Amino acid sequence: MSSQNPVQEVVSQPYKYGFITDIETEKIDKGINEDVIRLISSKKEEPKFLLEFRLRAYRQWLKMKEPDWAKFGYKSIDYQDIIYYAAPKKDQKKASLDEVDPKLLETFDKLGIPLSEQKRLSNVAVDAVFDSVSIATTYKEKLAESGVIFCSIGEAVNEYPDLVEKYLGTVVPSNDNFFAALNSAVFSDGSFVFIPKDVQCPMELSSYFRINSGDIGQFERTLIIAEERSSVSYLEGCTAPMFDTNTLHAAVVELVALDDSSIKYSTVQNWYSGNEEGIGGIYNFVTKRGHCRGDRSKISWSQVETGSAITWKYPSCVLQGQDSVGEFYSVALTNNLQKADTGTKMLHVGPRTRSTIVSKGISAGNSTNSYRGLVQMGPKAKGARNYSQCDSMLIGDQAAANTYPYIRSQQTEANIEHEASTCRISEDQLFYLQSRGVGQEEAVSMMVSGFCRDVFNQLPMEFAAEADKLLALKLEGSVG
Amino acid sequence: MISKDTKLILDISDLHASVEDQPILQGVNLRVHSGEIHALMGRNGCGKSTLAKILAGHPSYKVTSGQVLFCGQDLLAMEPEERARLGVFLGFQYPIEIPGVSNLEFLRVATNARRQCRGEEELDLFDFEDFVIDRLKIVQMDPAFLERSVNEGFSGGEKKRNEILQMALLEPIVSILDETDSGLDIDALRVVASGVKQLANPDNATLLITHYQRLLNEITPHFVHVMAAGRILRTGGPELALKLEQAGYDWLDDPSLDQEGE
Amino acid sequence: MSAPEWLVSLPAPYGVLESVQRRGRQYLASLGLPDFAEESWRLCDLARLEALLKLPVSSQQTDVHDYGQDKWPRPQSESLRVVLDPFRDPLESISLPNGITPLTSEELEQTLGHTLDVCECNATWPIAINHACAMNVLALKVDGSDLPPLELVINARPSELSATRVVLVLEENARLDLLQVVLGSRHSAHSHLLEIHLGQEASLNHGWVALGGGDASLMAHLAVEQETRSNYELTSVQQGWLFGRLEPRLVQVNGQAKTVLRGLQIASKSEQLATHSFVRFDGPEGDLDQLQKAVASDSSHSIFNGAIDVPRAAQRTNAAQLSRNLLLSGRARIDTKPELQIVADDVRCAHGATVSQLQQDELFYMRSRGISSDRSMKLLLQGYCQEIIKCLPINGERWTLLDQLVSV
Repeated sequence: MSSQNPVQEVVSQPYKYGFITDIETEKIDKGINEDVIRLISSKKEEPKFLLEFRLRAYRQWLKMKEPDWAKFGYKSIDYQDIIYYAAPKKDQKKASLDEVDPKLLETFDKLGIPLSEQKRLSNVAVDAVFDSVSIATTYKEKLAESGVIFCSIGEAVNEYPDLVEKYLGTVVPSNDNFFAALNSAVFSDGSFVFIPKDVQCPMELSSYFRINSGDIGQFERTLIIAEERSSVSYLEGCTAPMFDTNTLHAAVVELVALDDSSIKYSTVQNWYSGNEEGIGGIYNFVTKRGHCRGDRSKISWSQVETGSAITWKYPSCVLQGQDSVGEFYSVALTNNLQKADTGTKMLHVGPRTRSTIVSKGISAGNSTNSYRGLVQMGPKAKGARNYSQCDSMLIGDQAAANTYPYIRSQQTEANIEHEASTCRISEDQLFYLQSRGVGQEEAVSMMVSGFCRDVFNQLPMEFAAEADKLLALKLEGSVG
Repeated sequence: MISKDTKLILDISDLHASVEDQPILQGVNLRVHSGEIHALMGRNGCGKSTLAKILAGHPSYKVTSGQVLFCGQDLLAMEPEERARLGVFLGFQYPIEIPGVSNLEFLRVATNARRQCRGEEELDLFDFEDFVIDRLKIVQMDPAFLERSVNEGFSGGEKKRNEILQMALLEPIVSILDETDSGLDIDALRVVASGVKQLANPDNATLLITHYQRLLNEITPHFVHVMAAGRILRTGGPELALKLEQAGYDWLDDPSLDQEGE
Repeated sequence: MSAPEWLVSLPAPYGVLESVQRRGRQYLASLGLPDFAEESWRLCDLARLEALLKLPVSSQQTDVHDYGQDKWPRPQSESLRVVLDPFRDPLESISLPNGITPLTSEELEQTLGHTLDVCECNATWPIAINHACAMNVLALKVDGSDLPPLELVINARPSELSATRVVLVLEENARLDLLQVVLGSRHSAHSHLLEIHLGQEASLNHGWVALGGGDASLMAHLAVEQETRSNYELTSVQQGWLFGRLEPRLVQVNGQAKTVLRGLQIASKSEQLATHSFVRFDGPEGDLDQLQKAVASDSSHSIFNGAIDVPRAAQRTNAAQLSRNLLLSGRARIDTKPELQIVADDVRCAHGATVSQLQQDELFYMRSRGISSDRSMKLLLQGYCQEIIKCLPINGERWTLLDQLVSV
């Protein structure tokens, strides 16, 4: 059946970001212990509080068990066989872009993220992270004019230690879960954003993560703080070369929104997902959480997940401030033997908090695509509301779509509404479009993109088109 | 006026109200006497439905100032059910469907609550059925609707008939009919209008809220009021409605009309 | 008391179920009590489960036959009422109508446990406990379509854990209305296990009314196996158990069957009521329509877990599930979780869940007709429950006085 299914055939195409940059890299030895953590910390010239934070997390991690409740059944990871720090060899951080190794600039060029002055996007500031290190951040000066801090977290640790110490680990405690603890112990680099009071960030901020070395783990850490009445829109993108081993990516993202502020966090994730036999690919075990600490604050997560062999990711909102708002818009496309278990948690703590969840899962090939979400109305969440919608689209009869929406309420004056549906692209629909002259591939991607429209509409404009293109690419291939 | 000993039933003075801090009514004044039929017209969003809901006591609306007296009593101080028992009736624009609750049971409980308030004897199951079967004729409704859940699966016309049936059972002193004509075909409109006419008498009053002349072709009002931006802009006789029909609501935008409030 | 101690206290295995008892006890001994790590026990009040095991298993033939029976509604003139208790032969002094016959011992041997195997539910705790202590089984074969409705009543045995087991085989084209009533009172505990096999084009309209009381507990597992073009309709009402757990588990073995599941659980005081349903389609073109309702007041806890499994073989399945919940008190809790696993691409599966209080606009509508706020709430609640209750076969609503069912 699957060989005759045109839809099925349209969904496979080679990974186009799979190249490796040939660059001299400084790596430390494989394995993890307290000395490794001290070494990472000293290489990054970190203050004492951070070393202590790392060591505390490491000791907690040692006592924790790797979770298996999502039943992925992957071969257990040998944590002593991973390199926890790798960086391009030349001096790590450059004062200006001219000093950055041209090979790196070329790499990002090839990935569609030009960094050099002439080519860079006019209204997007980019922090480019290569393996464990941030190699460049564009538009820093321009942002500084309005008081916005946008830099690598390594830089922030040295330049704004008070801010980092005040907020780091307050949303995702170092012992939150197995992978968050590991990240807290060994995190390499990532982005730091601080928007001061009353500032609307003048441009989109973006981090681009590139894993280049095959045997390193990527443990970036992102911290975004929006002070009272400020707002920011942030986008992260990710790619990695093709290796036949599995690379671990265990990031932690923490967002803090104070009174009347708003943070919009978008992700276009296109890590290498392994080949058709399921060999290689990234294990993407990520903890993302936003804390609506202030009244009327708002945190909005949008994600387009297309890559990784295994994804384990639940961008969440703790809605504490009264009238605060949480949103989650997600498209997850899985193909071949990919497994994605993604969703969100909306924890309604404060009164009149509101949340919206829109999740679109597309599973093709032999993949498994699961939505797992929790909506919880706490005892004080009077007048809180949630609306969730999760739709699945199945392509081919070997793909699986699972839905696990957990709902818990302890508040009579709260409303929760959940709707879900499952559909496929029917031959009739395809035929209808084709009979109007639309090519098969185009017809499939039109329908997939129509299915995802609600989510794409939430992405920043520059990236909505990119996401649409990415899905189309993923769906591209020979029509038999 | 219609008869010599009319009574002031509804006395609305300088009523201001808002929903979610958005002001909707901005000083409504209106007096309705027994035996009168009033029509309240206006564009969508002018506040006419809000006025109806406030008179019935809908919890979403907040009265910020002003007063409403119903037969001399402070209407705004009462719970919705007290108002209904005393004889205020709101015919809903969109009658609510209540699955599982039997229409007959609902009608009986409501009728008895009103009867008790009037010092009348409550009707038992059998007497009530006789009573309701008799009243069904007014709206030409099939008794089968009594066996169903309240409004559940009723068509638009059936829902409106069910509203008028309730009005016939409760025998209100003032009936406020909110867009009762909307969504009705001409036959259903006639049935509903004839029901309203049959129920109107010298001791009660009717306030028809409508957007179109259509209903007023069937029921001739004594007074027509036109609302805009939360106030009653003009008051006249039936000819005012005809004028609106001809000239459209844009005619109201003529600034020279502004001074004629009451 | 831990599970092993409790096992030791059980009477020695005997009777037709002797080997089953041994198996169940072995299983429990190796398994111990469930813990929170298991998804289906995650929210369970395990202390109450343990308390259930503090009760002695009915070990003698006390005559409870008449207990409270005077308060039961009279049987419908047409219907056949059978009272189940753990010891007495339920069929003594009852003459079965044509078309309903007890399974022969050979037939029983073939049938017993078969549906459990098909439903892959042999290795679960509530079944093991029934296996360990049920002494008797009522096994009936149903053939024909013009049969009197069957009422199966299980009475409370105060301060005892009583285990009952039923096997029901509906032959091809058979048609039956079945109403099961389970009653609880002071510290009574029930373990009930039911296996139903529906042959092709067979049709069963199944009512389940479980009315607890006092500190009564109930664990019931209903395993149903449906062949093609069969019809199964379950309407369950669960109320008043300190600890109540209903597990309908159903497999359409070759698809092409129709299943309707309606459930209502009304939790008040400090009760914990749970429904864990599971439906699997092992063939194409199956149909499921599920509506689960719950009302939680006081400091009660209502749990619903609705799993639907649509494997590759189940193309053109049409499944709809809706979970509607009313939370009436700030101390009560509602947990609801639909759980869909789909591996077939040509299916229509929809599910939805809502948790709210009574609809404000419905309340206002009724109040605007002069009905007091309390009365309106009561009417609305009754209407809400009535939607399920009215579907009970054999006038099952006679057992549940709606007025007592919901109090505001």
